[in-house]
Amino acid sequence: MSAAVGLNLAVAGLIQGLLIALAGLAVSLCFAVARFPNAATGDFMTFAAYAGVAAQAWTGSLLAGAASAVLLTAGLAVASYVLVFRNFRGRSLVAPLIASIGLAFLLRSVLTFFVGFDQHSFHVPIARAIVFAGARVRPIDLWLAGTSAVTLLAVLAVLFLTPIGRRMRAVADNPELARASGIRARTVMLTLWTLIGACSAVGGVMLGLQTVVVPEMGWNLLLPAFAAAVLGGVGNPTGAVLAGIALGLVQALSTPLVGFTYQTAISFILLIATLVLRPQGLLGRAEPVR
Amino acid sequence: MQGYLTAVGTVGGIYALLALGLNLQYGFTGLINFGVVAFYAVGAYTSALLALRGVPFVLDFAAAAVLAALFAWPLGVMCLRLRDDYLAIVTLAFAEILRTVIVSEEWLTNGTRGIPGIPRPFSGLGAAAGGFAYLALVLAAMLAGVSLTVRLVGSPFGRLIQAIRDDEDAVRSVGKSPARCKLVVFMIGAGLTGLAGALYAHYLTYISPDQFVPLLTFYVWIAVIMGGAGRVGGAIAGAALLTLFLEGSRFLRDVLPFVSEVQMASLRLAAIGLMLILFTLYRPQGLLGRVAR
Repeated sequence: MSAAVGLNLAVAGLIQGLLIALAGLAVSLCFAVARFPNAATGDFMTFAAYAGVAAQAWTGSLLAGAASAVLLTAGLAVASYVLVFRNFRGRSLVAPLIASIGLAFLLRSVLTFFVGFDQHSFHVPIARAIVFAGARVRPIDLWLAGTSAVTLLAVLAVLFLTPIGRRMRAVADNPELARASGIRARTVMLTLWTLIGACSAVGGVMLGLQTVVVPEMGWNLLLPAFAAAVLGGVGNPTGAVLAGIALGLVQALSTPLVGFTYQTAISFILLIATLVLRPQGLLGRAEPVR
Repeated sequence: MQGYLTAVGTVGGIYALLALGLNLQYGFTGLINFGVVAFYAVGAYTSALLALRGVPFVLDFAAAAVLAALFAWPLGVMCLRLRDDYLAIVTLAFAEILRTVIVSEEWLTNGTRGIPGIPRPFSGLGAAAGGFAYLALVLAAMLAGVSLTVRLVGSPFGRLIQAIRDDEDAVRSVGKSPARCKLVVFMIGAGLTGLAGALYAHYLTYISPDQFVPLLTFYVWIAVIMGGAGRVGGAIAGAALLTLFLEGSRFLRDVLPFVSEVQMASLRLAAIGLMLILFTLYRPQGLLGRVAR
């Protein structure tokens, strides 16, 4: 493997990793505060990509398309909390987990019922790739990487630098104690689901921009997203982001060894390895027995 | 008409066997297996490949069940000492990876082209009698599954696994090992699922990777949830309801001619999704159950 090939793979892996990090962050936030792995995350992303394509076709502007995708998906996530997930408080995690699978199927089938299975794509101006030290980078990829990184940092900033973020972390740590100290669960949960929706939306639009928009696109990213969330330590959003980026890099750099078909298998193997060697995740604390 | 009923009965019986396996895992022990379709595929491919190499049917079916159970072993060992949701994530991932393996390892599985010409037992009896005999075989397997579940659940081991489902810490406090019991149940359930896969492969005589999609796992889940998790009759009733729903949606198109075949598939998926949400929200005990846990 020559240096240029390696560099190209690393660039591709970094972008893929940022996408996985966005999805992993959405999964991890839900894991930390709402305490279940949300299998509908992938289909939130798919929804966002379709919403973005439709809005771009309507307004003619990519920025407006992406912005409306974020707004609509955040609304969808909040609605799914209010209508479905809110009602599971106090029950075991099986119920919301199964319901999230149901929601994933429901979202995807409503999409395919009205739009069909044909692939769609965003309209992106064609531009010449920039050659940088032997690595070819499309300008769009720079935009993708930049936007993803900014979104990740923004969500983490909300979580760690703002009062609502502090309240959210308090609920994640100990819901009873948080309630006893007067933290309103309602505001926290609505903010949480807005963040989950926004995060998935940016991920979905980025994924759609990078390739094409198809009904299965989000579901296919669910496995790496779960792997990132577990690898980073369950309920540790920063860990999920780092693990997501690492997963993308490892997947891309292992391509010469395992081929394209088994790229996703890498995340499965890393997931298994984490569970065996370090179930609390790379950055996580040991899970207390409840 | 008789041929159609035989076919529906056979498919329904296979769903019932799948539901029995999952009911043992989820209903009685609380294990969240989201990879039902993977063990089903292992059973189907094992039995089909062996039969094509001339191995007698009895051994094919047995090998399908045993191999599916063996596939469950490492997954169970790794996940069952951890939180409940890890098994869910790992089995879901396993099903996806297994499908990738089946698609790409063409030397073994013939890839996306699938495996045609799998021999079917009793095919020498002619279409009608042969179909009937195969239905009898499937129902016999289902009854064996029922009796296995009844015996297992009524035994001291059965009381133990239900105690694990209800309060794992309490079980640990009396010196029992929940992880070991869960592993045994996970493997038995996977074995039943593998057997169902073998019955399916020999019934259809053709298998390909696109028959083993994640959706199938959740067909079985909705059957177990509708029928009432943790009740033996529930798995059978749920599988019957599921078969009724799947067959009914086929006839629905005669009534709604403006809905295309592709859109009907979307509607079916939407109905399954909506049922999963509504049942977990409003009737977690199933259609017929009384006790809310």
